[in-house]
Amino acid sequence: MADEITLTIDGVEVKTAPGTNVLQAAMNAGIYVPYLCYYPDMKAFGACRMCVVEIEGGPPGSQASCTVPAADGMVINTKSENITEMRRGIMDLLLSEHPHGCLTCHRVDLCGPSDICLRHVSVNDRCVTCPKNERCELKDTVRYLEMEMDTPLTYNNRNLPLKVSDPMLDMDMNLCIVCGRCVRVCEEVRGDNALTFTDRAGRSLIGTSQGTSLLESGCEFCGACIDVCPTGALVERKHKWDKAEKTVSTICPHCPVGCQMDLEIDKRNRLIRAIPNRHSPVNKGQGCFKGKFGLDFVNSGKRLIKPLLQSDGGNNQATTIEAIDFTIDRLGQFKGSQFALIASDRGTNEDNYIAQKFARTVMQSNNVDIASNLRPELIPPLEDMLGHHAATNPIWDLEDSKCFLITSSNMTEEQNVIALPIKKAVKNGASLVVIDQRETEMTRYADIWLRPIPGSETALIGGILRVIFDESLDDHDFLADRCVNVKELKDSLWAFDLIQVSAMTSISVTEIQNAARTIATDSPCAFLYGLETLAPDLRDTCARGIINLALATGNVGRPSSGIYPLLPGGNEQGSRDVGCVPDRFPGYLTPTEDLRKQMNDSWNSHVPEDPGIPLSEIVSAVRDGRIKAMIVIGDSPNFRNGELGEFVQSLDGLEFLAVLSTFETDLTKIADVVLPATTFAQKEGTYTNLERRVQLLHPAIGASGDEESPWRILSQLARRMGGHGFDHADAGSVFDEISSIVEIYGGITFSRLRNNSILWPCLASDMSDTPRLYTSEDSPSHRAKLARMDLQEVPLHSNSEFPYLLARGRILHDPKRETEIEIEKRRAHIRQTEIFELHTADAGTLGLNEGDWIEVTSPRDAKQGIVQLTSPLQGLISTTSLFGELASELDRSRMPDPMLEVDSLPLVPIRVKKIERAAPV
Amino acid sequence: MPDYQELKTEADRRWRELNEGSRPWVRVGTAMCGQAAGAIDVLNVLNAEIERTNIDAKVDTVGCMGICYAEPLVDILKPGISRILYGNMAPSAIPGLVERVLSGNEIDFEHAIGYIGKKVEKVPALNTLAGIHHQKKIALRNSGNIAPDDIYQYIANGGYGGLAKAISEMAPEDVIGEMKESGLRGRGGAGFPTGVKWSFMARGGPPKYILANSEEGDPGAYNDKGILEGDPYTLLEGMTLAGYSTGASNGIVFIRHGHNGPISRTEQAIQQAYDSGLLGKNILGSDYSFDIVVSLTGESYVAGEETALMESIEGKRSMPRFKPPFPAAFGVWGKPSTINNVKSFSYSPEIVSRGGQWFKSIGRDNCTGTAIICLSGDVKRPGMYEVPMGLQLRTIVNEIGGGTPSGKNVKMIQLGGPLGHLLGKESLDYHLDFDEMREHGAMLGSGGVIVGDETKCAVDIARLLVAFCQYESCGKCFPCRLGMSQLLEMIDRIANSEASPEDIDLMNKVGDTMEAASLCFHGQLGYNPLRSALLNFPDDFQTHIEDKVCPTGDCKEVLLAPRNMRTYAEQYRTGLIPIETMAK
Repeated sequence: MADEITLTIDGVEVKTAPGTNVLQAAMNAGIYVPYLCYYPDMKAFGACRMCVVEIEGGPPGSQASCTVPAADGMVINTKSENITEMRRGIMDLLLSEHPHGCLTCHRVDLCGPSDICLRHVSVNDRCVTCPKNERCELKDTVRYLEMEMDTPLTYNNRNLPLKVSDPMLDMDMNLCIVCGRCVRVCEEVRGDNALTFTDRAGRSLIGTSQGTSLLESGCEFCGACIDVCPTGALVERKHKWDKAEKTVSTICPHCPVGCQMDLEIDKRNRLIRAIPNRHSPVNKGQGCFKGKFGLDFVNSGKRLIKPLLQSDGGNNQATTIEAIDFTIDRLGQFKGSQFALIASDRGTNEDNYIAQKFARTVMQSNNVDIASNLRPELIPPLEDMLGHHAATNPIWDLEDSKCFLITSSNMTEEQNVIALPIKKAVKNGASLVVIDQRETEMTRYADIWLRPIPGSETALIGGILRVIFDESLDDHDFLADRCVNVKELKDSLWAFDLIQVSAMTSISVTEIQNAARTIATDSPCAFLYGLETLAPDLRDTCARGIINLALATGNVGRPSSGIYPLLPGGNEQGSRDVGCVPDRFPGYLTPTEDLRKQMNDSWNSHVPEDPGIPLSEIVSAVRDGRIKAMIVIGDSPNFRNGELGEFVQSLDGLEFLAVLSTFETDLTKIADVVLPATTFAQKEGTYTNLERRVQLLHPAIGASGDEESPWRILSQLARRMGGHGFDHADAGSVFDEISSIVEIYGGITFSRLRNNSILWPCLASDMSDTPRLYTSEDSPSHRAKLARMDLQEVPLHSNSEFPYLLARGRILHDPKRETEIEIEKRRAHIRQTEIFELHTADAGTLGLNEGDWIEVTSPRDAKQGIVQLTSPLQGLISTTSLFGELASELDRSRMPDPMLEVDSLPLVPIRVKKIERAAPV
Repeated sequence: MPDYQELKTEADRRWRELNEGSRPWVRVGTAMCGQAAGAIDVLNVLNAEIERTNIDAKVDTVGCMGICYAEPLVDILKPGISRILYGNMAPSAIPGLVERVLSGNEIDFEHAIGYIGKKVEKVPALNTLAGIHHQKKIALRNSGNIAPDDIYQYIANGGYGGLAKAISEMAPEDVIGEMKESGLRGRGGAGFPTGVKWSFMARGGPPKYILANSEEGDPGAYNDKGILEGDPYTLLEGMTLAGYSTGASNGIVFIRHGHNGPISRTEQAIQQAYDSGLLGKNILGSDYSFDIVVSLTGESYVAGEETALMESIEGKRSMPRFKPPFPAAFGVWGKPSTINNVKSFSYSPEIVSRGGQWFKSIGRDNCTGTAIICLSGDVKRPGMYEVPMGLQLRTIVNEIGGGTPSGKNVKMIQLGGPLGHLLGKESLDYHLDFDEMREHGAMLGSGGVIVGDETKCAVDIARLLVAFCQYESCGKCFPCRLGMSQLLEMIDRIANSEASPEDIDLMNKVGDTMEAASLCFHGQLGYNPLRSALLNFPDDFQTHIEDKVCPTGDCKEVLLAPRNMRTYAEQYRTGLIPIETMAK
């Protein structure tokens, strides 16, 4: 097939790729053809018939151009009189059901986009009653068709009540034109099928299949339906009436996928809508509940805009000068390793580069880490075995993978968009193996769902490896040519006797074999791991096992294969790249003597020798007095969720605490000084996402007070404290310094990033980026180091106070369980009896029977529910809730930044008590 | 697995025993036509009576004989006596029949309507009956003759001879060649040559699908169901032949849910075919394997559209896909598929076993074979008749149908299903021929012929058809979804004598948009009934609009209510609001 075909559209010669439909070819060439049901990047539907064209020499009559594949030599006419008449005829019909006062009002020519006028048309037809007024594709199309608005067709207003009880979004089915875009995006792109067509003929509309609330229909509240809706039928509830003054494209800070979002800003400098950018290579027009509905925290009136100083047990507003003076004075007393800095994972590369430089050179301390760095073990095995520090392949490579192994990751909530290509591939026949104790959205897609006994994950992976070598399913050539330590690995696998592994993991030998065969034979296979449910001391070996698996099956260095560590923090990858971790300098350099000398030179200051204290040890270090002063930038769920121990309380014991924050938090309450920091939406700078893509943030809203970027605040402190090299004019020059030190960023500059995002390594300005690592072309001589595996005893969960582990899962849709929807203050929320799945042996020990009520108590909270004896694992109790519960909770949250409250679902130690409760009627 | 010859030998033995054995063989017509006339009651009484009188007789329920007006039919073959059909049997007449015919050796002359075989005095030969003698049965050759739950009876009558011949003697392309030679045109309505369609099936390996369409939601059409009830084997054999010739691996029979008779008959037949080695792996010991399952639709007329049918099979909402890609390349589950109407498949066993030339000799040159007509409305003898192509409608209405019961003149004929046309009395001169009908601006459709006499109002009939088409629109493409609602609204106004002359223009405009712009035939043809009614019966419309009365008085009752759902506005609105007229 030719690479390019040529067709003529309205007399213009147009070149396009084979397989493109005529409508898309015309649009690509800048020729407008009206359409209402088509949406770029989705399959054609052919319902609205608005894009009809004439094809010379083609079939007689008109053809919907979205459904006609472009062919070489085709001659297309999009604008004949017949065609226009036909479009007007269809539009007449459409307007016979759509409120169109916005078009027929006699003031329409005088009326500005946000004017309010008295009624010139009937009340339910007025333009101001439509949230999409002047953003409406239907209206644009009517205007394009230059319609005479005088059809004698009967106008039927549907007079349907608005649907406003679901979280986040409003549905007005009076405005729906039944184009089906929302239904299709939900099915085709998101794989959720939460929306469907209802009824038929003249009564066809959009709804959920059982007429239920979106909360129980499988909706993930990603808002994709809103983004594609051509009319005001589906809109974001917040700010739905507001009109945008400008649109700025920037990067979402909520997770390491780094979706590009178009932020709509109104004239009051408020972020009113976030729309995922359709041209972004990262998210391709998709977002998630966090990015779509969780960015408007930047508008919050609770934002800090003045520094606060602690005095008399309270925080008092101060001027920036006072606050800085105070901070410098105090910080000067705590130089050296008694100081620690915790940066925010939402900080830009520039923020966090300056943060570590400040800590290292000015404060003379390597105690610097990122607030999200709960699982530092995700990356070092990669460094060790492969020599790089991030995912090997880009996100959308996954679309064409034939197999996936996902180990302990709730990715649809933590890194939502990365799940899209996976779901799509699985729907197209790829295999999915999931290792997780929790029931998550991905386990519902899994072909093989393995639930090992907590702590036995490494044993399981070793078992899988053993089967692969035993059955000679390994990639011999790859191992021979590209790897070392093959023998060591093989030898170490002798310990992994399958029967023993099966006993340790409580997974049958057959299942282990099936998983191994699937992973080894369905190629290319991608390996994604979050290690969210693993105990800290098991993560390293587990990650090494997974990398061994990828190497043994030859799934490194090829498209659609690869290894993806799933980091939790927004810009965690970038923060690591620029050295905002205790044990590595910028560019992942190890602090050897030589290096420190080199850094001394480039930073023109002395760099400390002692190794830094990581985030996980901060609490104990503060407790035992090793750390006396700290700077904490931003907020993190980890400060509250207990994963770091009693974080806030322990920091109360510091002699000095400075917090750079956007909101008042538990930390600002105990801080000696609080400096207001800007949000992502105000920043210029860069984020690096989990596929190593460096992307530029653009400031969308201005400052509303004295808040500043953390790098500027820290630079100011540094300069005043005598630090060298803290006088950058802007983020761009900070980045220039980063690229001069961090080799993998060597060729990246802001001006290059303005055109394109770049995947590191990009070593020089004349080099392109590197979508895939370890390809045979790029690093033919590079040999990956396999790691030997040890069959470790599964550590017993021995906590006498909380003797069991609770695996909490969350899924979108559970048709098997009954759900009750309660409407409270006009909003729906789910009422569902919690079900706790217990192993029969545990139930025996506890004296519980199926259907008994129990109370499950963790160190943080208690929950009640009914016992079901279906857990496959002794010692583990599992429970699964509906995502809808979380969605309505987030919707009702009074927190300024509710997405920070989304629970990451680790395994929780619990105790169980039987309670008396009458069975629900 | 037995080979074909073994099957045939066993079948012939059984058939001889039925026909020449010592037991009387009673066949009761229990197809839809029979059931509607009370055949189930008749059957129950008959069985009870036979049991009570302790007669050793074999009772089979069979499909439609093609004389629906005489249902319920009891067909008795007694040793030594010709086979005699007793028609219009009431349950109360059964004990007498049993006593005289089965216990005794008499003939019930009161009910006897025809004999088959050796001449019987005072009873006409069956094929001289008005409804029968124009008939030429190919697809329905076994209907009423064999028990549709006994595959041996089918085999004894030549069944699976075509498949056996094809598999043992013919290459797949020879089968297609024979189909092309026969000139058979698809009987779903479009009249596309079946052999040519089969040859379109994409090359390459399985899975590939053969789909039989028995959605048949047309009011006044029941011939697909007639075949499934009377002789499901001929469909299965036809599908297997199609599968063999196109290299398909799977067949799906798509039947509208709720049609329990045809569904259970088909499922039973499939099971028997598997048991006899005529379906499944290595059919008749050959290398060819083929499977057939039954899939049910929801309640949707549009599900009969070929691509909507595929969506429906896939478990989705039955909305048509756009074409291309065509089913032959991208069909059910995205795999190559060939879809035909049940009737089209049912001809193929006879075509293969007797040759394309034989089939071509029946009917007309361009339009070979037979048509299965479902005659209804104002005729004395409504029913399902298989007649040669080229027969004149006048013959069908007057001779087969016996003219109008009222004796009044025929005023209109509704042809081609609800998306077809409402024709005037001149259409009596038309012949059964796809091309000729098209020249007259009509279409043959799948065989429904509804006759209306002078007491019928064209507006009323048109309104009925529009209401049907509106209700059955799937709601996908805009012109059809919105246009049909508007048309219904307007025809409703006309029927209620509330319309103005401009409404006619408006209807035409909406109709034109639908015809030109709709996605599938439902919308493209949805204006046909109304357009043809306007063309052929302008006076009826005129009287409604200008004199504000209905010429026949039929339109008094607003009949929208039960089937039409219209729009939501219906429930809520207080009055009709015209779109504001404004100068731009």
